[in-house]
Amino acid sequence: MSLDYALRCTEMLLAFALLQQSAEHLYVPGERRLFLPRTALSLLLLAGVAAPWVCLALLIHALFILQRFDGPYNGGSDRMGLLILSCLCMGHFMPSLRAREAAFGYLALQVLLSYFIAGWVKISNPEWRTGRASRDILLFSAYPASESLRAGAGWPRSVCAASWAVMLFELGLPVALVSSQALVIGLALAASFHFVNACLFGLNRFFWFWLAAYPSLLWLQQRLGAAL
Amino acid sequence: MLHGLKLLLPALIPSWRFFDTIAPSPRIEYALLHDPNAVAAWQEFRRRPARLSFAQMLLRMVWNPRWNESLYLVSCAERLMENPSAHSELEIIERLKAENADASAPWLQFRLVFVSRQGEGTRKDITFTSPVYRREAA
Repeated sequence: MSLDYALRCTEMLLAFALLQQSAEHLYVPGERRLFLPRTALSLLLLAGVAAPWVCLALLIHALFILQRFDGPYNGGSDRMGLLILSCLCMGHFMPSLRAREAAFGYLALQVLLSYFIAGWVKISNPEWRTGRASRDILLFSAYPASESLRAGAGWPRSVCAASWAVMLFELGLPVALVSSQALVIGLALAASFHFVNACLFGLNRFFWFWLAAYPSLLWLQQRLGAAL
Repeated sequence: MLHGLKLLLPALIPSWRFFDTIAPSPRIEYALLHDPNAVAAWQEFRRRPARLSFAQMLLRMVWNPRWNESLYLVSCAERLMENPSAHSELEIIERLKAENADASAPWLQFRLVFVSRQGEGTRKDITFTSPVYRREAA
């Protein structure tokens, strides 16, 4: 996978994620004017029109959105979108191929860290190791998308097993870089993980933004394989 | 613009410490008042549905504006406690006003209730009560 092809795949997936996000804001009268430019720019990005400049315009526009909401609207998913946009800009505008690769590689590294660090902080916490933390998420956090899901807190063994599955998966994902097949399987599992989170906790934006970052990992794996 | 750049920095060097601890979780409760001095009858803002079908979950993959707005309000409630600002309070009150646009009561108040675990159950602590707001300009 060439760098340009990986950048293009990322642009298309990011454009879709931004369109999905913008559509949800366009329905709010007070936010329509802010998100119309993002919608138009995302359509241009999807079509591949002047992509480097459109990425830059989207990044500058994102600063106004950050200012409007005094920070990210939806925490981690917004931050991943901003990270992808920043890395795409650097991937386009850096003066040398090496620097462009470093910028896009930084995105891949951060995607890996997003899983590994999340797994590490969980496994370091006894409440996660016993399943207590997952039960608390179900019991009283703001995330369960329906009241019926709170009943899951009454299934300690199943919840504990699920906690360990999540922690081991998050910690183990970097190992998937050893081969392209392993990485495809790893990313399919990761996408399934985000899909389940979207269904149970309504975190749909995480799904689309993390998906948009996966081409960087597929590119990095091949780039490292070629270098070794 | 400078403030926007400052807010961008955590995205460029993210921490990725999702759910490292399960902190007390905020709920927004509000009361519609006919008199600014009346005793408030609190009700939870946007109670989650009792149940969601798989089809509804699938639809929410591409269309979930109310839930995402509710998560934003959770962030506003947390910010209001960690780093109080008029912005967070205004964001909450504006959405409460919009949601109750057809109510007859002219006054509105909200409070933040943080839910945490106590033994095998939960406890609720009221951490913030807003001033009474007029729903519309007089």
